[in-house]
Amino acid sequence: MALGRYTSDLEEGDRLGPIEVTISPFAVREYCHAVEMHQPEFQDSLPPMVPPTMVHLEKLRLYSRFCPAGCGPNARVHFIYSATWHAPIRAGEKLMVGGLVSRRYHKRGREYMDMDIEIRSAVEGRLLAEYRDTVVLAYRNEAAERERA
Amino acid sequence: MANNPANRRPAPPLAPGQEIRSAPRRMTRERMRWYVDALPTVEADDGRVHRGGPTIHDDDDYAKAQGLPGIIADGMISTNWILDLMLATFGPAALQAGSLTTKYIAPVFEDAVLTSVLKVEAVEGLAEGRRRYGLKVWCEDASGKPVTVGEATVVIPA
Repeated sequence: MALGRYTSDLEEGDRLGPIEVTISPFAVREYCHAVEMHQPEFQDSLPPMVPPTMVHLEKLRLYSRFCPAGCGPNARVHFIYSATWHAPIRAGEKLMVGGLVSRRYHKRGREYMDMDIEIRSAVEGRLLAEYRDTVVLAYRNEAAERERA
Repeated sequence: MANNPANRRPAPPLAPGQEIRSAPRRMTRERMRWYVDALPTVEADDGRVHRGGPTIHDDDDYAKAQGLPGIIADGMISTNWILDLMLATFGPAALQAGSLTTKYIAPVFEDAVLTSVLKVEAVEGLAEGRRRYGLKVWCEDASGKPVTVGEATVVIPA
């Protein structure tokens, strides 16, 4: 169990949450403005639909809540986004969001971490979206740099 | 108005092998900044825009200290540009049920010009006249080199 400090401290098997979350129309509109998705489903509908890419921000929310000291000594680099959505999510809907650090591993001198996130309806418990996020815990390849030195 | 759902046409049938390409977009410093600021803005959710960073996406000195030659775009920008092309192609049905996986295989530096592409790999008929599309998706730079690659599925009603 390695919660409470840096995300780079997280260990395989660590569970983050679940926590109750409500995504507001403001949050959807701001996010979609930032990536230039001006579809009426995000900007004009009341309540707007939540784009499936926003599940990535639920990972960041879990990080902020459970690893409040930040990423650790090195910047984290996002490597893979992998989401499946089973039903649309609307702004204002009460959700339960939980994460599991499913794997930490080394590949070609870099360390990777997978986190599996589920979003469920808080009222019915229905699974709405599943997300696997893979990050490189440090872009700098220290082993390769040591070899070069 | 194209964005009025009443005026949007249903997705036309697409055949395996068919490619849909977006207009090219330049990954400007401003676009990277918008995404950096969106993250704390969404998290705070208090009706105000918050400034994010410093990160490898907005601060050259910070990026260089991490071993990069300069700032690079957050991969989720290209993922969202691919989703945007899926929505332009299939309409809001793409939000009902589906999947999208993207892998960031090369850094996207400031002012790189990206084009998003969908390629139909498979079309499957489902009950009630629905169709499931299996897609290869990617973003390529101006030289045609893929920087983000992945796959997606979309289910379209009859």
